[in-house]
Amino acid sequence: TPLSPQARAARVRVGKGDKPVTYEQAHPPHYIAHRKGWLSLHTGNLHGEAGAAERAVEDSFLRRFMYGTFPGLLADEVVLKRRGNLLVVCALLSRALPPSKIYFLVGYTETLLSHFYKCPVRLELQTVPARVVYKYL
Amino acid sequence: NLMGARLAGSHVDTQEPKINPLVSISDEPETLYKRLSLLVKGHDKAVLDSYEYFAVLAAKELGISVEKVDKPPKTIERFTLLKSVHIYKKHRVQYEMRTHYLCLELKYLTGSTAAVYLEYVQRNLPEGVAMEVKKTKIERIPEHIKKPVWDTLPQVEEAEVKS
Repeated sequence: TPLSPQARAARVRVGKGDKPVTYEQAHPPHYIAHRKGWLSLHTGNLHGEAGAAERAVEDSFLRRFMYGTFPGLLADEVVLKRRGNLLVVCALLSRALPPSKIYFLVGYTETLLSHFYKCPVRLELQTVPARVVYKYL
Repeated sequence: NLMGARLAGSHVDTQEPKINPLVSISDEPETLYKRLSLLVKGHDKAVLDSYEYFAVLAAKELGISVEKVDKPPKTIERFTLLKSVHIYKKHRVQYEMRTHYLCLELKYLTGSTAAVYLEYVQRNLPEGVAMEVKKTKIERIPEHIKKPVWDTLPQVEEAEVKS
């Protein structure tokens, strides 16, 4: 089958107008550093710095882990920040679970990830009543 | 008697200077730095601009003189990969990584001032930003270099030269 000449990477295709899309999903990747920010902040990709591949593997594991431990609760992509040894995982949750269960999940992720990666892991959460819709495609 | 017992433990009549446990005073001379050069690298120019404002403000508050704030041009590392998993050699994808730089030069610092400033500035380094520090130390000229060697050698006798 012939290929389409358009790029398909990280783009949500236009539909009938009933698909809600967040700001992050609505912008294709050439808008990074112009209208979008970065989802994972570390020094591995800077000129003359090493460790980019290890950070990428850790990032993909962390995103799958967060997607699994908070099933259906993540309102937007997880933002990962690395300050020295500290790993800060910033997530946006919806208010479907009672706070006691969320506290348990937070403690569970923090201790498990700290033991797994041998570095302090901090989880910073914000709850949102519903997903923030940027536009409907 | 009770009054005497109460006043024994109080500090009313003793006037000892209060020693701060965090400040240590040592007798060895301070190392002096002629220049402290900080090179800060990052992907986001706005983050580097705000960090420059913060670092310059911190230096002014501590009384450190800033020699210059330089912004070297950015380096872009680009590579071209094949767009498809299998064949289609004519269709490629290009990625690039931009690194912006910021160079702060501070002059004439003491060792403890440099340590305090660097610790403060490095603890508040934003994520995704890297820093390299170069220090230029001032040292006393060693004793054996001060006078030229040909002045200190013993005078060669003329008899040896004739033979």
